[in-house]
Amino acid sequence: MNRQLLHTPEGVRDIYGKEYAKKICIENKIHEAVKSYGYEDIQTPTFEYFDVFSKEIGTTPSKELYKFFDKEGDTLVLRPDFTPSIARCVAKYFCEEKEPIRLSYMGNTFTNTSNLQGKLKEVTQMGVELINEPSVEADAEMISLVIEALKSTGLTKFQVSIGEVEYFKGLCEEAGLDEETELDLRACISGKNYFATEELLNERQVAEPYRSIILKVADMFGSMVSLAEAKSLVKNARSQAAIERLEKLYEVLKLYGVEEYISFDLGMLSKYRYYTGVIFKAYTYGIGNAVVTGGRYNTLLNYFGKDAAAIGFVLVIDDILEALDRQKVEVKLPDEKQKLFYQADNKVDFANKLAEAKKLREQGIPVELLKEN
Amino acid sequence: MSEERYLTFALGKGRLANKTLELFEEIGITCEEMKDKNSRKLIFVNEELKLRFFLAKGPDVPTYVELGAADIGVVGKDTIVEENRNVHEVLDLGFGKCRMCVCGPESARELLKHHERIRVASKYPNMAKDYFYNKKHQTVDIIKLNGSVELGPLVELSDVIVDIVETGSTLRENGLEVLEEICPLSARMIVNPVSMQMQTERIKDLVMRVRQKLAEKQ
Repeated sequence: MNRQLLHTPEGVRDIYGKEYAKKICIENKIHEAVKSYGYEDIQTPTFEYFDVFSKEIGTTPSKELYKFFDKEGDTLVLRPDFTPSIARCVAKYFCEEKEPIRLSYMGNTFTNTSNLQGKLKEVTQMGVELINEPSVEADAEMISLVIEALKSTGLTKFQVSIGEVEYFKGLCEEAGLDEETELDLRACISGKNYFATEELLNERQVAEPYRSIILKVADMFGSMVSLAEAKSLVKNARSQAAIERLEKLYEVLKLYGVEEYISFDLGMLSKYRYYTGVIFKAYTYGIGNAVVTGGRYNTLLNYFGKDAAAIGFVLVIDDILEALDRQKVEVKLPDEKQKLFYQADNKVDFANKLAEAKKLREQGIPVELLKEN
Repeated sequence: MSEERYLTFALGKGRLANKTLELFEEIGITCEEMKDKNSRKLIFVNEELKLRFFLAKGPDVPTYVELGAADIGVVGKDTIVEENRNVHEVLDLGFGKCRMCVCGPESARELLKHHERIRVASKYPNMAKDYFYNKKHQTVDIIKLNGSVELGPLVELSDVIVDIVETGSTLRENGLEVLEEICPLSARMIVNPVSMQMQTERIKDLVMRVRQKLAEKQ
């Protein structure tokens, strides 16, 4: 027999038995949480034209996309994430719509990352997008939904960090930094690389007081961050508006009663330039990266020809499962199936057992019919 | 909620680990278990401060930290760049100073001035590639070696090498010299991004104390 046939390629795997039952259970719980906020499910194709995930729109570098060709020679891509597809759908089907649109999705995504790094190439993502709603209430709804979804899975120890990309943009503007310096600074600060930030500021001869202010901002994360202090550091309207937005957001989050999970991180500056306002990430123990990432992207839909505000997040189901496993959180599975045995070559007994099984099944109890040995 | 958890350190084996422990001791973080040279333990614990330490091969340190098996790591800048993992680089520890250089016989200096194709041997293929492709715009063949890279030009395996230079004495003894410097290197402290968010106060406090100590020493 060909042993090679039994293997799956690196980065993909079979999920079965108890583990799959757990996964479905978690998916359902999160789905329930999302549904309770009035989000409607949407399904988009597994592969799309390359342009939908191109550099300007997507967040995955081209070399990490699974690409192939159709018969016309067009380049197709297995989706690395959902947001561009959802944006395309909204621009196409809800072009004239002015009212808020609430969409949620779940499905597998594919990234062609390097081997031997302990990372999966196919993962299940679940996410939501709220379109046509630029308000602070929408920001709060998104974040409290993240918390609700995480809580529904049984996780208790997690934290949501919130940033505002406009704050840093405004600060750079005020300091009169050129684009290159701003980009380099973003990389250093979002990598929490304090001394590289310091070095870069010296090298580019950024003048005081901005040198100290930027260094301070680089260190502004964790539970002790004071928004009032952050506000007092800057004079420009853009940054101040960003902090005011966060202050308002915090007020609304208090109404949701979720402030214990919240902290601020003004040094959170996404690599991706499409985020235009609030951005956030959720962290928990047992998993080395954020389990949820999201934010406001008010310009992304422009690429598809619709001018609309939008905010969304994505959550990686496989990461949540791993975190639950590492934190030893029990996932309550549905009742186990019942087994009914019938005697072989006994028609009457079989008919009886069949009737019994039918009854149980009607009550919603899973039944497996087995031949007695 | 962070207090009950261990903070786990992955240290690059060898001199780097010793230097790191010395530095930690100066700010009051000790690990008596680790001083016992005969111990065959792999993980060392300081119960009082809730700290755990383990030694790992340099290139594995960023892997442990990225995947969250260790919260904090100490490793050379060369390894961080070469491995290119998603970790926060929070501190330059100042020791283990050296340089990443292009080295070779004097005759090879000419080869670096044009964009002609040359052969480069290195333990650091990613760094070598980045330097030649993106900074010098020179197409090169890179040959990965696992040690004694200086042999490369001597036995005509390659035209030049890309390697770490500390004093340069090995190079000189073999008739090689530094042709170009790529970047300065030193030991760095790296932190897992999730640990940074979940245990911010503890980690920030540690980083602050080390930073202060380093400033005093200067």
